[in-house]
Amino acid sequence: MQIFFDGSINGISLAVLALSFAIVYLPTRIFHISLAGIYALSPYIAWTCLQKGYSWPIAAGCSIAAGITLSLACEILNHQFLEKKKASSESHLVSSLGIFITILQVISLIWGNAPKVLRTGLDSSYGLGTVVLTNAQLIEVSASLLLLAGFFLWLKFGNHGLQLRALADNPTELALRGYNIRFLRLVSFFISGLLCSSVSLLVAYDLGFDPNGGLSMMLLSVVATIVGGRNTYLGPVLGGLCIGLLRMEVTWFIAARWKEMMTLLLLAFFLFFRPQGIVIKKARLEADL
Amino acid sequence: MNYLLHVSIYLSIYFIVAMSLNIVVGYCGLLTMAHAGYFAIGSYVYALATVKMGLGLIPSLVLGAMIAATLSLMVSLPSRRLKGDFFIMITLVVQSLLFTLLNNWAKPGMEVGTWMNLTNGPFGISGIAKPTIFGSVFDTIGGVAAICAVIAGMCGIFSWIILGSPWGRLLKSIRDDDLSARGLGKDPRKARLQAFAIACGMAAIAGGLYASYVSYIDPSSASLDYSILMLSMVIVGGVGNFRGPLVGASLLIVMPEVLRFINIPDAVAANIRQMAYGLLLVIIVHFRPQGLAGDYKIE
Repeated sequence: MQIFFDGSINGISLAVLALSFAIVYLPTRIFHISLAGIYALSPYIAWTCLQKGYSWPIAAGCSIAAGITLSLACEILNHQFLEKKKASSESHLVSSLGIFITILQVISLIWGNAPKVLRTGLDSSYGLGTVVLTNAQLIEVSASLLLLAGFFLWLKFGNHGLQLRALADNPTELALRGYNIRFLRLVSFFISGLLCSSVSLLVAYDLGFDPNGGLSMMLLSVVATIVGGRNTYLGPVLGGLCIGLLRMEVTWFIAARWKEMMTLLLLAFFLFFRPQGIVIKKARLEADL
Repeated sequence: MNYLLHVSIYLSIYFIVAMSLNIVVGYCGLLTMAHAGYFAIGSYVYALATVKMGLGLIPSLVLGAMIAATLSLMVSLPSRRLKGDFFIMITLVVQSLLFTLLNNWAKPGMEVGTWMNLTNGPFGISGIAKPTIFGSVFDTIGGVAAICAVIAGMCGIFSWIILGSPWGRLLKSIRDDDLSARGLGKDPRKARLQAFAIACGMAAIAGGLYASYVSYIDPSSASLDYSILMLSMVIVGGVGNFRGPLVGASLLIVMPEVLRFINIPDAVAANIRQMAYGLLLVIIVHFRPQGLAGDYKIE
């Protein structure tokens, strides 16, 4: 039962990160790999603020603001220009990879490569029957659930949420109907930065952080998106949960060192045998490439 | 002098890598992130063949190339169904799988090179023999540099011949218009399979030369950083012709060496080098998608 709870908590965090990837991928078809850089950077901003004596809310606010700004900058300074040139998805991916590498090295130059923590001392824990959860885990799961609930409520009932769904379905028709596609793209990058930096802070508060954690988490979120279903917003959330649970089970029953391989084998299985993912209707992968 | 020979060895090794990647990226139009994995396979096969089996340079390199060519099916088979971003993702998966295998195929206490402890995990394999050809050991840096230059030259001639042949033109036609090539009775899947086998085999040869030079190999040579470096070479230099990859490899090997002479502290030189790679990728994609000297635009 403990494994199930730990896996679920990891899975929910991964679900938020996968959603932050999917919210850009769905409407724009851009592999926003530079999110890995944002994920790596956010805890460092919070850590610096805390070191300078600012309170937790200010540190978290600065960190999230930095994540959002960076995400918007990726769109305004990079992807928008490539989009104007009608560049291929590979070009977007390569440039996004370049941005990620640059952010990563800037982090290493400023803060070094050593792992850091956002909290000091032992964390308090709470017992729920046979399950023990730490304070950090409870904060992580409740904030992640809040973010997920807030996003889906906005997507379902908000005006821009509706437009974002329409953009994901048919961007050309939406543009012909007079909607501001550029603004909607910015909205998607804004939310992506917000979700990514928030979940990064939550994970860093629980487990600590270092510059190299970003890419592996980003790859996991891409795997979650593919496994869950890459044409819906719900798919990445489901995929994130599945992968969180799978990795915890592999750690417990086999060995922690094989969890990456099992995750990637799951991805390979889905890419070959069910490329549409868990939640959407059957279609060949080539259909929308 | 030794320093120049050292740089020339690295140049020869990465010329082979860039030329091999050019076959896949420039002539098949497929970006792959798994190349470092095949480079590492070549290194490990060379290490085990020389340390455990006592083979010389040429048989070890041939064995490495054959194993890498066989394992290239891990990338080439998905290319039959997947394109674009999803193909890149599957190559990332293959790269991670190879890295995980090399990093974890170990059991403490067991002899290195046995079935239970094939790679010695993160500790790697040390004491790799210097190149031996027909019983002659090339244990000086000049000897290794000469061997690397000769093998790089042979790979270059091979690459020049096959890419200029009808088969090379077939690859180009598949890259530009898969459907038309099929309409003309060509088999794009088979051609891609062959291209990946050749490219991965060449990468393994480069890996073998690398292992013979540094006498030590660990799983970090299969890491994503190396794959990014290799991909940067062909994106920066350009692909689709013979000179582009050579320009890219030269630039990315010489650039870090230049940093040594401008008083940048060693502690930050690696970061600045990586940052330069990242910025180069962005700049090239925006302003010169065909690379500095390439023919094929990645756009």
